[in-house]
Amino acid sequence: MVILDLVERIGTVADGATVTVPLDPADGALVAAWCARTGNELVDVVDGVATVRRGRGPDPFAELSPWQLPGTRLWMYTNFDCNLACDYCCVRSSPHARRRALGADRVRRLATEAAAAGVSELILTGGEPLLLPDIDDLVAACTAALPTTLLTNGMLFRGRRLDALRRMDPARLALQISLDSPEPEPHDRHRGRGTWQRAVDGIRLARAEGFRVRVAATLPPEQLHTLEPFHAFLDGLGIAREDQVIRPLARRGVAESGLELTVESLIPEVTVTAEGVYWHPVSADHDDQLVTRELFPLEAAIEEVRRRFAADRRRADAAAQWFPCA
Amino acid sequence: MSKPLIVGAVAYTPNVVNIWEGMRGYFADGPAPMDFVLFSNYGSLVDALLDGTLDIAWNTNLAWVRTVGRTQGACRALAMRDTDAVFQTLFVARPGSGLSGLADLKGRRLALGSRDSAQAAILPVHYLGEAGLGADEVELVRINSDVGKHGDTGRSELDALRAVLDDRADAAALGINTWEAIGREELMPGAFEVFWESPTYSHCNFTALPRLSEERTRPWVERLFAMDWDNPEHRPILEMEGLRQWVPPRLAGYDSLFEAVRTQGISDRW
Ligand code: SF4
Repeated sequence: MVILDLVERIGTVADGATVTVPLDPADGALVAAWCARTGNELVDVVDGVATVRRGRGPDPFAELSPWQLPGTRLWMYTNFDCNLACDYCCVRSSPHARRRALGADRVRRLATEAAAAGVSELILTGGEPLLLPDIDDLVAACTAALPTTLLTNGMLFRGRRLDALRRMDPARLALQISLDSPEPEPHDRHRGRGTWQRAVDGIRLARAEGFRVRVAATLPPEQLHTLEPFHAFLDGLGIAREDQVIRPLARRGVAESGLELTVESLIPEVTVTAEGVYWHPVSADHDDQLVTRELFPLEAAIEEVRRRFAADRRRADAAAQWFPCA
Repeated sequence: MSKPLIVGAVAYTPNVVNIWEGMRGYFADGPAPMDFVLFSNYGSLVDALLDGTLDIAWNTNLAWVRTVGRTQGACRALAMRDTDAVFQTLFVARPGSGLSGLADLKGRRLALGSRDSAQAAILPVHYLGEAGLGADEVELVRINSDVGKHGDTGRSELDALRAVLDDRADAAALGINTWEAIGREELMPGAFEVFWESPTYSHCNFTALPRLSEERTRPWVERLFAMDWDNPEHRPILEMEGLRQWVPPRLAGYDSLFEAVRTQGISDRW
């Protein structure tokens, strides 16, 4: 009888350690009930074997800061096409990439459901969102619901696109513009000749239009120590220190080197594209990190991300138990 | 800072290390620090208390009875868990077995746990005697799968339950802690039911000898009683050790075991 076996096996290990018992599928609910009642944790059931941890494992969410809790922010890929073709783009955007637009209707519904689901910030990204003719409608739908950040390469603030920018609400919208270095190289090498100057001009223009501008830099890990001149340059552009976001390059998309990021190592950031809900914006073009094809209800998708995160952490903790450090 | 009190316990599961590390950490910040020594069985634990290796022993009820016997009553109990003051033995059978009291065990098979387990062997035999059943009127199926640890592992009680499931016995005697561990009859309705419950009796306690002065034990016991279920730092230790509160020892709760040991001729030694 599985409960007698479990009591006996659990009795032979220390708190936090796991045991396995063969499990008849019919007894699954019984084992779950026993764990809930006795304060032990059912880690998983795979191929007729249940893994149970003595005591309760650490709460996977307790280790996270409040701003890291999955579902605090919602990322939306408005489109995948871009006027640039940066060599490290994590979603392989370029002028030739298919647009795969999310569309105003879905963006509006997502924004409304996000607010109801407890999301506190919306982030619009691409591709280059400003390529969309209705980008100001999308932004308006978002800012009506929640504070929003729009990620852009900052190079398209001219003509009707500048008009669109001017229709956006600087009180509810921040812009995040990418800039990789305090001088044209290496920015231009990765993003295209002349792009550095146009991005800097874009940053100045957005500031002049009254927008809060965050500058995001993507650096290869070995360059992360050359930060001070970069910060000094951004200070000179009037960018607040907390808005100077410098991050290591992710190995996704067409990037050839960089940190390896997997579901297990990434704290999720719920990300929606026209194709589905993904684990994290850096993997929004990779089906290995697809969470669900169902965008709606959004709350269910967020719940699924949280559930997977908790399960992954618990499994990782259980696996760590098998290889105690010597 | 005073020299730490050395507390001895039996390592009936690796988790005992976590429990006593937690206890040592708790006492480290206070006026009466402690360290601990673990033994593989209660015989060695009591020997170490008597020979002065230990200041305090975390004794089962049988270890307490034997320490009292070997010190001619000079040892003293300092504290116990709230759960130790109301321990019980339960007699269980499969539903429909036709057992509704101890007298019904006449001519039937009763599975007992390890012979040095008060809750699963010594007291059950005592209760049979009290119910007027003679030594040869119940067939005892003895399962000595954790001798030396006084039934602490629960292993022999689980084996006794398996004996009932396999129809090698009609009933089993077990401690209430094992009954709780399998979820009483609520998790597996139809598997087992209790047909007789013993009166409450006392189980473990912290035992010291006269050699250790009250001045040394008082601050330690006060600090022990200050452990608080509602304090998130204390709570995990209390949960692992299976209590909500430390309480003064209930000595009357040992009377039945003293009598059982006397009538069954169980020796003070091993
Ligand atoms: S990194 Fe940004 S700007 Fe560059 S191609 Fe990708 S989406 Fe476009």
